[in-house]
Amino acid sequence: MKRKFDLAIAVLAVLALIGIVAWIMQLQRGLILTNMRNPFTWGLYIAMWAFYVGTAAGGLVVSSAIYIFGVKQLKPIAPVASVTAFIFAVAAMLMALPDIGRPDRLLNLFIYPNFKSLILWDFIILSTYAILSAIYTFVLLRPKIAASGISIPFVGTVMKRDMTAEEIQRLEKESERRAKILAPIALPFAILIHTVTAWVLATQLSRPWWYGGLLAPTFIAAALTAGPAVVILASLIVYGYRKDLQDAYRLLAKVSAFSVVALLFMYYNDFFVRQWWDAGREFDTIMLVFRDYLAIHAVEVIFMLLGTFILATRYNSVGGLVAGSLAVNIGILAHRYLLIPPAYNIIPLRVPVVLGIESFEWSYPIAVGDIRGTLMNPQPVFTAYWNYVPSLIEIAITIGVFAIISLVLLGMLRALPVYPQGSQ
Amino acid sequence: MVRYGMVIDLNRCIGCRSCAVVCKMVNSVPTGTWWQRVETVGSKEHMVPTGEYPNLSEVFLPVPCMHCENPPCVKVCPVGATWKREDGLVLVDFERCIGCRYCLTACPYGVRQFNWQDADENIKQGFEVAGFEENWYKPSDYKYGYPIDHRTKDGRLVYTKTRPRGVVEKCTFCVQFVDQGIAPACVRGCPGNARVFGDLDDPNSEISKVLKDRSTFRLLEDLGTEPKVFYIPPARKEGRGGVNYEKKV
Repeated sequence: MKRKFDLAIAVLAVLALIGIVAWIMQLQRGLILTNMRNPFTWGLYIAMWAFYVGTAAGGLVVSSAIYIFGVKQLKPIAPVASVTAFIFAVAAMLMALPDIGRPDRLLNLFIYPNFKSLILWDFIILSTYAILSAIYTFVLLRPKIAASGISIPFVGTVMKRDMTAEEIQRLEKESERRAKILAPIALPFAILIHTVTAWVLATQLSRPWWYGGLLAPTFIAAALTAGPAVVILASLIVYGYRKDLQDAYRLLAKVSAFSVVALLFMYYNDFFVRQWWDAGREFDTIMLVFRDYLAIHAVEVIFMLLGTFILATRYNSVGGLVAGSLAVNIGILAHRYLLIPPAYNIIPLRVPVVLGIESFEWSYPIAVGDIRGTLMNPQPVFTAYWNYVPSLIEIAITIGVFAIISLVLLGMLRALPVYPQGSQ
Repeated sequence: MVRYGMVIDLNRCIGCRSCAVVCKMVNSVPTGTWWQRVETVGSKEHMVPTGEYPNLSEVFLPVPCMHCENPPCVKVCPVGATWKREDGLVLVDFERCIGCRYCLTACPYGVRQFNWQDADENIKQGFEVAGFEENWYKPSDYKYGYPIDHRTKDGRLVYTKTRPRGVVEKCTFCVQFVDQGIAPACVRGCPGNARVFGDLDDPNSEISKVLKDRSTFRLLEDLGTEPKVFYIPPARKEGRGGVNYEKKV
């Protein structure tokens, strides 16, 4: 187990290093190293940002289930859940960082905030949620930290105190009381991170693929799918599959499985409404999905359904839980990736062309932003369709962020006394 | 209160793209980036009519920034780097933009452009693609464009020849000229005199008179962005620009 863990750490460290090198390259040369251009301005980074916001939902599900709905069997995994909530909220913000053209000017967010902009609100809500999750984790773990301390590599154990059993009991009671107060405060933020993230996209009338009231509910459904699955995986790493956690795993698997159904319902409901009219920009987004992005659409739906099936039937075995959680997350990842292309490849400026008795709409091409091709084989400067495939730099940075986040998550789970008493 | 706007008469546009080129020249627009586009509506190639003979259409549509009254780009900018000045010009502060590109997503007209790399690199790349020898172009050499940095009254940098990498730029209605009382370069450079620029709030300005006399349309009016660039729709041309309607059914 120890060797496996060390190997995982080593691999993740190498990936993180590659990602950091890639980001330094991107900082030096600019975002030209990505495959995004003026007609297609957001790509893999923003898709992953939305994905991480979704995976941060685990803490919400668990804590609200315990303290608001009184589901006591989830209590042992609450610290792990809130650690994942913290780490993925941070991951979302970290993921948006390489997408920024001028990271050196990020302080402008504080100096000149524009409160009409939902990106600013998303930043505020996400950081508040991350801080709340960190506080929540600390509150939950306070008695255990006092009892066994935080073990930091090269530093040793810190914050350990010698206490009588009475004192520990008092701390435990206090932690319980504070968690009860914190849970309802954190809950609105936990819902808001998905809602505001969705609003960043859903408010844009120029992008019919996003525009509308249905995006925020689907974001919440996607979060309730990915979040519990991530908590299952994280607590399997920490605790393994134990008899006393069976109920907790089953509940999380059920929440995740049910949310997939809700997500697919809303998704296809939207598809149906859009396709019925047989024309227009909304209709064209659906046609674009089926024409150009059918493979990604197939991956999202097949993996989501597969994951639901496994989670709903095989929640009693480690293999089932792992396979189901992974499948569901892959499905959500594809779902998140598919947020981007149909939004950009339906050009908003469409001009009607009237030819005698016929008429059609024509997309006004956008200047790409650099010169491509050669003298004899020039590529168009103005284009109304951008075939976006993430560049190697984008992929390296994305994997690097994942590796860094996993390292921090594994390190935190190791350092913090999240293990239940009596087992180590 | 001054409120600047533009009228483009599509009957007069000959699709020569002079406006796009003169815009690039005076505004020092990097290679591959265009503040001003002119395309033949409905056609894959510029200057090629669309449709099948005899049902042909060849309408040239120049698209600068619309300088909307209700600009989505201004609303989405998290740091207020793009803003609508009192005279209605929508400008970008090169020193404040953080390069999140949310405004490129929000703008329905596709006029916003991002500096994906150093402008010098863009120009070098352009020469390379065009088949010039290596080192033919030196970044330290002369740069085209209006030579002086321009700041608004409150000191915000809205025009500079050396474009910072990682920021957004777009048509400014040639703010550096407008502030000196000169019309934008595309208005002055149009050989067909298709453009009128002026104060929309002044009933005696030329643009107000044109708007009063002619029927105009704006692009994507249903989005509620209220553009300040107006178009005079092209009449179907027969003979010498005259319109002949059949009297018999």
